Amino acid sequence: MKDIRWGLIKQQMLVQLHVRTLNLLSLGLFVIQPAVFTAVGMLLSHAAGNAMPDLVYTVIGGGIMGMWSGLVFSSTYDITGDRLYGTLELIVGSPTSLTTIEAIRTLTNVLAGVSSLGLAFLAALAIFGYSLKGINFWGAIVSLLLLLFAMWCIGIFLANFLAWSRLSGGFVDYIEMPIAFLCGFMYPIRVLPGWLQILSGAIPIRWALQAMNESLLGNHDWSFLVIHWAITIGISLVFIAITRCLQDKVHDSIRVSGELSSI
Amino acid sequence: MDSIAIEANSLNKTFKTKVGLWKTKSKSTVAVEDISFEVKRGELFGLLGPNGAGKTTTVKMLTTLLLPTHGTARILGLDVVRHTAEVRKHIGFAFSGSRGLYNRLTAIQNLKYFAELYALDPQVTRKRSHQLLELVGLAARGDDKVETFSSGMIQRLHLARALLHDPEVLFLDEPTVGIDPVGSRELRQTIKNLISLGKTILLTTHYMAEAEELCQRIAIINRGRIVALDSPEALKRRISGDSVIEASIQAGQMQVIMDQLRILDGKTVVELKNVSEPEIVTIRTPEPARVLELLSPYLNPQYIQELEVRNQTLEDVYVTIIKAGGQ
Repeated sequence: MKDIRWGLIKQQMLVQLHVRTLNLLSLGLFVIQPAVFTAVGMLLSHAAGNAMPDLVYTVIGGGIMGMWSGLVFSSTYDITGDRLYGTLELIVGSPTSLTTIEAIRTLTNVLAGVSSLGLAFLAALAIFGYSLKGINFWGAIVSLLLLLFAMWCIGIFLANFLAWSRLSGGFVDYIEMPIAFLCGFMYPIRVLPGWLQILSGAIPIRWALQAMNESLLGNHDWSFLVIHWAITIGISLVFIAITRCLQDKVHDSIRVSGELSSI
Repeated sequence: MDSIAIEANSLNKTFKTKVGLWKTKSKSTVAVEDISFEVKRGELFGLLGPNGAGKTTTVKMLTTLLLPTHGTARILGLDVVRHTAEVRKHIGFAFSGSRGLYNRLTAIQNLKYFAELYALDPQVTRKRSHQLLELVGLAARGDDKVETFSSGMIQRLHLARALLHDPEVLFLDEPTVGIDPVGSRELRQTIKNLISLGKTILLTTHYMAEAEELCQRIAIINRGRIVALDSPEALKRRISGDSVIEASIQAGQMQVIMDQLRILDGKTVVELKNVSEPEIVTIRTPEPARVLELLSPYLNPQYIQELEVRNQTLEDVYVTIIKAGGQ
């Protein structure tokens, strides 16, 4: 990503907003979908016998689900759309690397997803009476930033596969929900069986999310938070390293197979 | 400075695909086989061939979008595999069809985006975008969304996009496909203007007239191999000075005419061009006077409605070479 520059970020984000994000489909993706997740979460919480649903996991968790689904869906659609419209060849055939473009696109998708989280948060405050009293504000803010970073890392990691094969969109689609379940988007991670908790430890999103949820629940144990942040950063960097290793291989592979323009 | 802009040496591209329900079998398809040619700086070189001949695959290897299975290629002395990033800075390419642009963006927005991929300075982008839109005749439509453009306008915008970073070498893959005659003529004029600006252009097409009008040299490609390479004039001379006689024959009289021509030696080739009424027969012959003498008793509307004698065109050469299986 040596070729990253402000002008490119600005232009790529503008294209992304015009072509993909600012349309009715995205309204469904970033607004309606999280609302559905939240409603289902509240129903399940009610069915489990809770008089008052846990707003952090049901309402805000719904926002996180919307954010994650939006990221996966948009990233898949970006590459598929570029293949379909013949723009993938033009991007790959330019001096700017595809990984750089994917990094900016994923960032745009992650930032667009913040709208899901923001709406969910507003809904929790305005509709469900969630109180900010007692929360660890700065803990939540830092955790949120690291959550976005972790999602971005996973996004660019997955983008490699999406570029590599036109069929990999299916693969990315079917890891969407398992990752959401493994990371405890809508419930505390401790309810998962031990072996699943170990498995989920490999996903950086899980650590940042756990830190954010704990901060929103009023946990002021900074050592707990710092450890979770450090693990988030560490695993995210591993994903970036893997992405860097894969990028040249993917670049060569798609030029051997001719996958650039296939539909 | 090296006078060669594009150099292909024994280029070969084989695609491997998995076939069968369980994708257990591997199938190889040879798209390009042992292609070699050179294009001089400032030359307009044509790759001519039927659909599926390997023209686009060759262009994609030269533009770094496909890796050759074997062989090497150089652009301005830079190897397309080893110096990929450097090659990309010096080339521009435009493929045919309406794909390759963001339809929801305006022409200017598209140009700004693609200029950024080439790290152009925003001021340069602004200036060049307007110059190029002027060049391709779209100056008045710069702020319109591409989804409102006709095929011809899209094709011209492709050309403007490919020229944004002022590349020395330009690859145009069937640039006039799907464009009406007026649009095609304008685009051909634009391509001629580019040559006068010193650009090197590799053009693929299956329109003979276009190749004949534009290209200084032409390679005819068939089944992945180059089967002829020369200037249009030299290619026409290859068919040893034959003349072409085209005759429109009254329905039911073809056999009479064919019987007359049967006495000619094997150097004369007779082909039925049109089997509907009137039937059209094409006769390629080194002895046009002899053929006319044989046909003269039948030069009346009962037998021959129209008769035209002409020199070989590039299309005749192309058809002869392709039909002969590239020999």
